[in-house]
Amino acid sequence: MHKISPLLVFFFLLNCKAQDKPSLLPIAEEVINYKMEQVAKGINIPWGMAMLPDGTLLVTEKSGTLFQVKNGVNKEVKNVPKVYTRGQGGLLDIVLHPDYEKNAWIYMSFSSEDVEGEGGNTKIIRAKLVDGSLTEIQDLYKATPNTTGPNHFGSRIAFDKDGYLYFSIGERDKKFVNPQDIKIDGGKIYRLHDDGRIPADNPFVGQPGVKEAIFSYGHRNPQGLTKHPLTGLIWSHEHGPQGGDEINIIKKGANYGWPVITYGINYDGKIISEITEKEGMEQPLHYWLPSIAPCGMTFVTGDRYPDWKGHLLVGSLKFKYLELLKIKDDKVISRQKIAQDIGRLRNVIQGSDGYIYIAVEQKGIFRITPN
Amino acid sequence: MVFTKLYFWISPILLGLLHTVFFGSVSNQRIGNEYSVPIVYQEKANLQQSISRGKDIYVDFCMQCHLANGKGDLITIPQLDGSDWLTKKRKLSIQSVKFGQNGPIMVNGKKFNNIMPPLGLSNQEVADVMNYIMNSWSNKQKKMVTVEEVAAVNKL
Repeated sequence: MHKISPLLVFFFLLNCKAQDKPSLLPIAEEVINYKMEQVAKGINIPWGMAMLPDGTLLVTEKSGTLFQVKNGVNKEVKNVPKVYTRGQGGLLDIVLHPDYEKNAWIYMSFSSEDVEGEGGNTKIIRAKLVDGSLTEIQDLYKATPNTTGPNHFGSRIAFDKDGYLYFSIGERDKKFVNPQDIKIDGGKIYRLHDDGRIPADNPFVGQPGVKEAIFSYGHRNPQGLTKHPLTGLIWSHEHGPQGGDEINIIKKGANYGWPVITYGINYDGKIISEITEKEGMEQPLHYWLPSIAPCGMTFVTGDRYPDWKGHLLVGSLKFKYLELLKIKDDKVISRQKIAQDIGRLRNVIQGSDGYIYIAVEQKGIFRITPN
Repeated sequence: MVFTKLYFWISPILLGLLHTVFFGSVSNQRIGNEYSVPIVYQEKANLQQSISRGKDIYVDFCMQCHLANGKGDLITIPQLDGSDWLTKKRKLSIQSVKFGQNGPIMVNGKKFNNIMPPLGLSNQEVADVMNYIMNSWSNKQKKMVTVEEVAAVNKL
């Protein structure tokens, strides 16, 4: 029975769902017109990456170390806050302020035991890097309550065109409690001013008892968040369960449906929801079936990669490649593998030098150099 | 031979249970004196409780990759159901659950090279999830994993 039910669901999706649903585009094989150059080794689970103006890469290692990587040498940054390393938790994303050269702020996310209660939850801070050490650490947001649940911390950070700070917090293993309730944290994408203040025009400001930092809800575990280079809007992707990983454009106050609607099923083959669409809930721009376990995303800009320009790169933890999704009019029109079999691909960024960098578990960081 | 042995242990338990059912006033202690059963009975109960706690840990930490049926995907994720690594490399198995696993391993004649990040479990939780895994699907392991056994396993 266990073997049959996922298949049945698959055919159910294929047959019963109207053609106006996001299509199940096949992925094209890799065309190698670039080379992979390793720029960092010895970082077991690289999670977040950011490039300083001088070309130094800042890389978080999940277990709690922040590295400065320059000319193949990894140097540990001092005074990094203590992280809660259980399950998927740890030291997670790192992003520079859009005006970094002026204000030197670095934004980081991690799972933290702060405040009260056993366990941990996602925390966002900003700090400055001076003489190899984090200083002026400011707490910007801490999700509550702490739980010992090991999964779904979310934690990607991005800035939009107006300089607002966005970050994701996953539903922390409580899918039937957190994502649809805007009075509690988890399963949300948040928006703050760069100093942590809540913008007065956030969608739920003024409603009694709500978490006013929430910008959108009904998410599962978003681990990709990036600004579209032309529209300036925030795009995200999130892990579904088995099937149902999604790409969404994040709209103010929108409900992305988890777990009421989903294109996925549970890990034990059981149905989570019979429906894939509902009034008042957003449809994904794209969904993956089967899941690729997406992690990290960036749009390609500049002229180093003419074929990829304006399109989206997404890491796949599960299938160990980088996925190029060609986008036209906010729709995915094709998919292609890059860096096939390279390893569990945790993150992808475009550095300030215009090159694409990928973070691969067990291996380290690679630069993709076009031929 | 195995059956005789099993019968040797099971029958006193059954007798003991019957005894308790029919003569509720008789204390376990007394049965213990007569048949030396309670220690075994207690161990079995402990194992059952540990397995039951371990199931929750499995769902939270392991199921996403190794799946509910313990079969993994056999490409990058090895099976736990019927895994010879689990039975032949008990200490390494405990070690990998306690500290994570990284690099090539052979499971049932097939090579896997992947990373399982450190899970951040307490020793009790490691023991519980090991007992669940070692006694689920087709797996049967009589020797219970204890907190003491987990505590004695160090990082490679």
